[in-house]
Amino acid sequence: MLNHLPILIIIFPLSIAFIILLFKKYIIALSTFSILFSLASLLKFAPSVYKGQIISYHLGGWPAPLGISLLIDSLSFFFALTVLLIGMMVIIYSIPDKKYNHNYYFLLLILLSSMVGTIFTADIFNMYILYDLVAIATYLLIAYYQHGVALKASFNYLLMSAVGLSLFLLGVGSLYAMSGTLHIASISEQLPEIFAHNPQIIIMSLVLVITSMGIKMAMVPLHGWLPDAHSLAPSPVSAILSGVVVKVGLYCLIRLIFGLFSTEKILVNIASHYILMVFGAITLLFGAMMALTQTDLKRMLAYSTINQIGLILIGLGFNIYSGFEGALFHVLNHALLKSALFFCAGIIIKTGSKKIKELAGFGKKNPVVAFCFVILSLGIIGIPPMNGFVSKFLICLAAIEAGYSILALVIIFASLITAAYYFRVIQIFYSEPIQPNSNLPNIDVAENSLFWDKYFRLWPIYILTGFSLMLGILPSLGLLLIRPAVKILLLNIIK
Amino acid sequence: MTPINISLLLFMIGLYGVISKNNLIKKIIGLAIINASVVLFFIAIGYREGGLAPIMSRSEAVDSANQIFVNPIPQALMLTAIVVSISLTAVALALVVKIYSKYKTLDVQKLYEE
Repeated sequence: MLNHLPILIIIFPLSIAFIILLFKKYIIALSTFSILFSLASLLKFAPSVYKGQIISYHLGGWPAPLGISLLIDSLSFFFALTVLLIGMMVIIYSIPDKKYNHNYYFLLLILLSSMVGTIFTADIFNMYILYDLVAIATYLLIAYYQHGVALKASFNYLLMSAVGLSLFLLGVGSLYAMSGTLHIASISEQLPEIFAHNPQIIIMSLVLVITSMGIKMAMVPLHGWLPDAHSLAPSPVSAILSGVVVKVGLYCLIRLIFGLFSTEKILVNIASHYILMVFGAITLLFGAMMALTQTDLKRMLAYSTINQIGLILIGLGFNIYSGFEGALFHVLNHALLKSALFFCAGIIIKTGSKKIKELAGFGKKNPVVAFCFVILSLGIIGIPPMNGFVSKFLICLAAIEAGYSILALVIIFASLITAAYYFRVIQIFYSEPIQPNSNLPNIDVAENSLFWDKYFRLWPIYILTGFSLMLGILPSLGLLLIRPAVKILLLNIIK
Repeated sequence: MTPINISLLLFMIGLYGVISKNNLIKKIIGLAIINASVVLFFIAIGYREGGLAPIMSRSEAVDSANQIFVNPIPQALMLTAIVVSISLTAVALALVVKIYSKYKTLDVQKLYEE
């Protein structure tokens, strides 16, 4: 039993999902239990993973290049922990809403388990299959309320991401044609030899992988689906989309670029890190500019996600230790902060309108949520006591260390724009409402519903805010989690 | 023209359909063409000239030591990929049914005017 724990982390929530769909009883208890089980069994691997061991599990007992294998190292452990933690919070947050029935929890559990599968797999074809499962669950969750606009957003996302995943499969096919295996480590071993004979195929598959994962994580020329999908989905779904689904695309990119393509010679010839750096800078500035012009709160948060993804890409592009450290730390920070911000936005939208202009006076009506929103947005901007500061600071340091001081300036400039659009919301929160009479009945109803939802709706926000504050005050705690993962990234680069 | 080139050409045709057609159903047909082209690409990778289907046989009719077989792994992979693409098409069509019942049109231009 204990030997099979890696696959149980994935299979257990998946099977519970089907039990929920069939029997429609004890929905919340079962889904909470299954995610808690996965979290606990993941944490069981923590000591050995952080000693530097790499745990690999072979399905059906067939060894690596032949069979399908799962791999838990510190990088995949870190990402899986983030996914399951945010997933747990999302389940708690959606408990009080009666509109979420068994279909919702079914899709949510499929989404979470297939994301963990995508992270653990050591096989590029399985990565494609599981990523497609993630994507299908995501389309249905975005269109969950079946509003017209959400359906359109979901269809838009479906078109873009299905084309992207086909591109990924084409890349997988050309890698398979050249190497005759699908196992990431085995391909990586054979890559220098293949590159010497036909470099074009390797470059083509690298471009295909970057394009497809770029669509998945909204790198700027490919970001068209994100603002609609993230802002029109139900709030807990937006939280999981912005917090972790985007990060899974990032994980696949990191795993493939730094685990598969980054043999020394290829990195020099293709210079994939320049691609990341340039597109990261474009993404950063574009996301910040577009967020500044938004009038809808959730849409602004969605563009802010694009902004932060750009920052992470820049950090990865430097190809040095502190850059990776900052980027991975920012992955964790952004997951905590942005999902909590979307939770807050869910409560804020319930009290009235989605428009930022009409939120005046919210800070007085609901001081606790407004206070959490302020703290979290300080984290996203990167103001010292919060965790966002630490990761942005590390990335800026890496920029100067790697000799791209101009990028440090770009990051600081983008942070200023970030501050501008978050402070605008905060300022409106604490200003007097313009027409107090028209807003009153709305707010009364909302307060009533907030009273009942209090425990389940507010606790995830408190927990995530507490985590971010803790990581901000004691950043070494977070860096302790991240440093072994950075070592995995550097393993293939510096030889 | 090799099968690999044909599959890439099909991919481009599918991409053209997804990008330029205004009807949602035609876009989904484009997606289906893309998926079919990827299947063809994988099968073309595994193909060997004059190869047999890779089935182990104990009879004397096939001399398995000297006989060439096609690579079975891409075929096995494509069974999975076909299932995935079918479910993707099903989800897309379900979304289109819902969109049509809300807006009474399948034209992208009209959908985005509203």
